[in-house]
Amino acid sequence: MIVMEHLTKSYGGLMAVNDLSLNIPQGQFFAFLGPNGAGKTTTIKLLAGLLKPTSGRALIGGHDIQKDPVEARRILSFIPDMPFLYDKLEPMEFMLFVGQLYGMERAEVARASDELFDVFGLDEVRHQIIENLSHGTRQRLVIASALLHQPKVIIIDEPMVGLDPRSARVVKNVLKERSRAGVTVFLSTHILHIAEELADQVGILNRGRLIAVGTIDELREVSGEKGELEDAFLALTRAQEETTAKTP
Amino acid sequence: MNGLTFFRLLAGVNARIIRRNILALREKSFLMVSVITLFVVGYWFAGYAVFYMGFHRLAEVPGLQVIVLDRMLYLFFAFLFLMLVFSNMIIGYSTLFKSQETQWMLTLPVRSLDVFRWKLLETTLLASWAFLFLSAPLMAAYGNARQVSPSFYLKVFLLFVPFTIIPAALGSIGILTVTRYLHRRVFKCALFGISAVGIVCGVAFLKPMQAEDLEPAQMVASLQQLLHHSHMAVQPMLPSYWVASSMIAWGEGSTGQGVFYFLVLLSNAMMAMLLCVTLSRHLYYDGWSRNHGQGDFQLGVPLLDKEINLPRMALLERIMNLWPRLDHATRALMIKDIRVFWRDTSQWSQFVIFFGLLGLYVLNLRSVAYDWNNEYWASFVSFLNLGASSMTLATLTTRFVFPQFSLEGKRLWMVGMVPYGLKRVLLEKFWLSSVCSAAITVPLMLTSSWMLRIPGWLTLLFGSTVAVMSFGLCGIAVGIGALFPNFSSGSTANRRGDNPARIVSGFGGTFCFILSLVYIMLCVGSEVLPMYSSFAANGFTDRGQPWGLVFSWIFVSLLSLAATAIPMSLALKKVESLEI
Repeated sequence: MIVMEHLTKSYGGLMAVNDLSLNIPQGQFFAFLGPNGAGKTTTIKLLAGLLKPTSGRALIGGHDIQKDPVEARRILSFIPDMPFLYDKLEPMEFMLFVGQLYGMERAEVARASDELFDVFGLDEVRHQIIENLSHGTRQRLVIASALLHQPKVIIIDEPMVGLDPRSARVVKNVLKERSRAGVTVFLSTHILHIAEELADQVGILNRGRLIAVGTIDELREVSGEKGELEDAFLALTRAQEETTAKTP
Repeated sequence: MNGLTFFRLLAGVNARIIRRNILALREKSFLMVSVITLFVVGYWFAGYAVFYMGFHRLAEVPGLQVIVLDRMLYLFFAFLFLMLVFSNMIIGYSTLFKSQETQWMLTLPVRSLDVFRWKLLETTLLASWAFLFLSAPLMAAYGNARQVSPSFYLKVFLLFVPFTIIPAALGSIGILTVTRYLHRRVFKCALFGISAVGIVCGVAFLKPMQAEDLEPAQMVASLQQLLHHSHMAVQPMLPSYWVASSMIAWGEGSTGQGVFYFLVLLSNAMMAMLLCVTLSRHLYYDGWSRNHGQGDFQLGVPLLDKEINLPRMALLERIMNLWPRLDHATRALMIKDIRVFWRDTSQWSQFVIFFGLLGLYVLNLRSVAYDWNNEYWASFVSFLNLGASSMTLATLTTRFVFPQFSLEGKRLWMVGMVPYGLKRVLLEKFWLSSVCSAAITVPLMLTSSWMLRIPGWLTLLFGSTVAVMSFGLCGIAVGIGALFPNFSSGSTANRRGDNPARIVSGFGGTFCFILSLVYIMLCVGSEVLPMYSSFAANGFTDRGQPWGLVFSWIFVSLLSLAATAIPMSLALKKVESLEI
């Protein structure tokens, strides 16, 4: 469902994403990990079509995000780490607006919104002005609006920032349920236990290169660490740092 | 989704937001809303009265009114056109490339071309609305002087639509090209190169009035001079020429000619828009992607790829270190403010344009040589110069100083949590902006006074007046900026909070500008009064001994102290209890 073929993005001399190739099938929950500055956000922006790759291509549901962006985005939901909301709208108005942007009928939006508001605990605030909502409530609203049009692919950057444990649990459950229902989830995060808890596959990016990809067990095996994902992550990124340092 | 549905949905949402913003006015102070409403209505009436009196004064000389009136119209629209192009470029950069809403829209299932079209419309409206507001009294007075029929105003409104479209299209083409092909660094370098050339040329032309300029000018000679100096505005290839010609023709009742120029304007507006939208297909998305991903962009040209850091930041720190009594916290805050300003394209680019206009103003002072040997006239022009410089300073403080506190936005907690607290932050902003403003306006005042051959004592008076007014205006701007901040809220980066131009266009910005204007009127008025009385006592032939100016200066100083102390103390009290 998400295909990256030799995806490369360079900023002058800096290779932000270096020859990244990945194939994420339908219904897979893929966690994308990496240290700060590894190129995760650049990769996500390339997948969402916000940045143009230097070379290579990204396909969403078979649609090239550069050549056929409208069709690709129709089945895609992108939730950035700093999402946008219209502060002067009410949550219900925002949902209605977003739903219509995706070609949904008003009644359909209203029905889907009711369900999502119920799941995300937004019922009480549906008629409050967004600017008066707390950070966590806004974050829940953004995620709810992203699920409104039943996307086949969800690309999400640091979804748990600002969420209380209950809301974080709701978001995790919803994402996992969607994934089981056939939605492909591409989640970028620093929080390793989220990946450990939810991901079917994990990819680790360091200095723009995909240094490891596989299930949690496979990563443990490759890294030689038997403990938590954190140990495997540190071992793998350290090994790559050492290799890079030795390379003349 | 087709573009039309996208536009309809966005229009609906924006209408709802505008309605909510208007309703939110009810929550504002009644006094302040009344003051602003009064100011708007007062501006229209005062503007109309000034133009009306001017036009009727011209009518006293047979044949003069029509010539001057029409030429003034050409000049007005020529300058307006230029300003609209710049305004569209600056607002277009923020709206098309830097807005979070744009980024969000580009992830929706709509073509980037549709996003561009919507944002272009938004840019055009944002950049041009003030034009209608500001030019309304002039148009009304012009219509009155020409004794036009009521339908004239409707036609003028129709003319304004294509007239605003052309600079919007040109400005957008400019910003699309710059963003797509020029790295920020190169653009900055090019702009400063052009500014440097401008300054060199300006200095070469800068000289005081010559003896021949000082001859008492005759009416015909003055008229010829006016027509000569404004010749550039009467170029038939300029859109401003078409709009002015159409207005003049309609004013005279020449419908055919009026329609002809309207159609010329309309066809060119449509062509410009077509060109802009066609180019956007190739430039917008690429430019957006490049703008958001040009971390270490290399052009492949060795000279241009070198890091350009003007002014060198190490140098900035060294300069600050020359001020030994400055404590570390204030020094750090000042360096941070200068750096942030320097690196924000939307800030410094407007600053450069602002200075370009100031340069034009100083260079054009030579053109006011009418009857210079008349002391009354000389004094009149010199006070006009004081008023113009103060107004310029008020624009500068409202546009650049007022948003400073709001711009801290989400970062406010960081500076607020240091042991020195927000009071120190506010005081630092006041001192930094006051010193910078005085450093700009005092030399400007001295240069313009020198060019106008104003006597030394009067130059000193004007220089010191402008110096104290710099502090007064910055006190108002910093104080009102903190009392009526416009922060971005939460994580969603409010559309207003991250754009200084939008912060200023809010309630607080308008209030700040009005207070600044009232303060200027009181200051300049108090100095004009004794001078006028002295002239009146001497039959308007001799300046006499205007000793009252000494008291006026004391009054201006005390007023400036109040203008600084009152808003600043209220603001300091507010930030002390501000919940970050």
